[in-house]
Amino acid sequence: MRKATLAVTTIAALTLFATSCGSSTSSTDTVAPDTTVVATETTFTVDGAWARTSPMESTVGVVYMNITPSADDALVGASVDMAIAGMTQVHETTTAADGSMGMQEIASIPMTAGTPLALVSGGFHIMLMKLAKPLETGTSIAVTLTFESGATTIVDVPVLTEAP
Amino acid sequence: MKLIRIVSFASAVALATAGCGTDQQTLVGLVRDNPLNVAVVTLPEEFVGAASAPFTMRAKPGELLVVYFGYTMCPDLCPTTLADLRSALKRIGSSSDIVDLAFVTVDPLRDTVDRLAPYLSSYVDRFHVIRTTDMVELKHAEEAFLANSSVTTNAAGVIEVTHTALAYIVDDMGTVIDELPFGVGADGFTNDLQILINNINKGE
Repeated sequence: MRKATLAVTTIAALTLFATSCGSSTSSTDTVAPDTTVVATETTFTVDGAWARTSPMESTVGVVYMNITPSADDALVGASVDMAIAGMTQVHETTTAADGSMGMQEIASIPMTAGTPLALVSGGFHIMLMKLAKPLETGTSIAVTLTFESGATTIVDVPVLTEAP
Repeated sequence: MKLIRIVSFASAVALATAGCGTDQQTLVGLVRDNPLNVAVVTLPEEFVGAASAPFTMRAKPGELLVVYFGYTMCPDLCPTTLADLRSALKRIGSSSDIVDLAFVTVDPLRDTVDRLAPYLSSYVDRFHVIRTTDMVELKHAEEAFLANSSVTTNAAGVIEVTHTALAYIVDDMGTVIDELPFGVGADGFTNDLQILINNINKGE
């Protein structure tokens, strides 16, 4: 089981100091000129990351993992290098009242501090489309996760035939 | 927003309770009181570099046939199901040699036999590649399984595919004796196939 703890400083947590001329370099309009925003760090613990080997004939792939944040946040996106896949989306598989299962792109997945967010088959997952080439067992791909806080983190995802 | 609807009867998962004195009580798939019979369904089986041949949805005498409706551009559920099936056959070992496999593409315009055959072989090397471009014929076949599918293109130009996500286990009479929904995993496939193989070996 792969496990990586990733410390990420959020954009929103930049330390800002009011200057004598009353201006600031805040990235938002809501920070008062005399406010000091204390830098904080959110850590994301990732385990069980894997991408399924993609057959030669398929141009789609999938990535699964568990992400545990140290503070409340939300997963709002995922991406990979265009040399790997032309399009990457976060998807959710759901079951309707009539028993049908649906899969759709999802804009944001809330995350609770200390609680793993599971990206698993049949649930939330990262879909890779327009694969430039097949995902081969034994290789790995770098997946960039983007969070609502502005944090981003890169996860090294091994390509496997079966779940780890 | 991309939406791909995949129809299954996951909510209909039920443990078989028929008191017929067999091992059916432990099947994790759906066993109907009035099982479907799909022997009326014949679709083209395609081969790379050779003419197609009619394929009827029933197992060879004394064997089992697993039928799955899917497509190669399916990112999550189809590959998971195929991988689970592969794992189950591997776990069961040589006694699973009596389990035949048929994959019916619901996306025949993109899924040519040249794509399907190697795609399926990358999971298990004994799939019958079932493909018809006659969508009425495909629809009639699906109706026999109480399945459905569709292929549409949304406003953004993205092809959306819907399909039933069940794996059907068919006997040599064409009777659907077990329906495995997505989510049973390799354990579920192993459990049910092993029981049904044992039943055949016991003459039940």
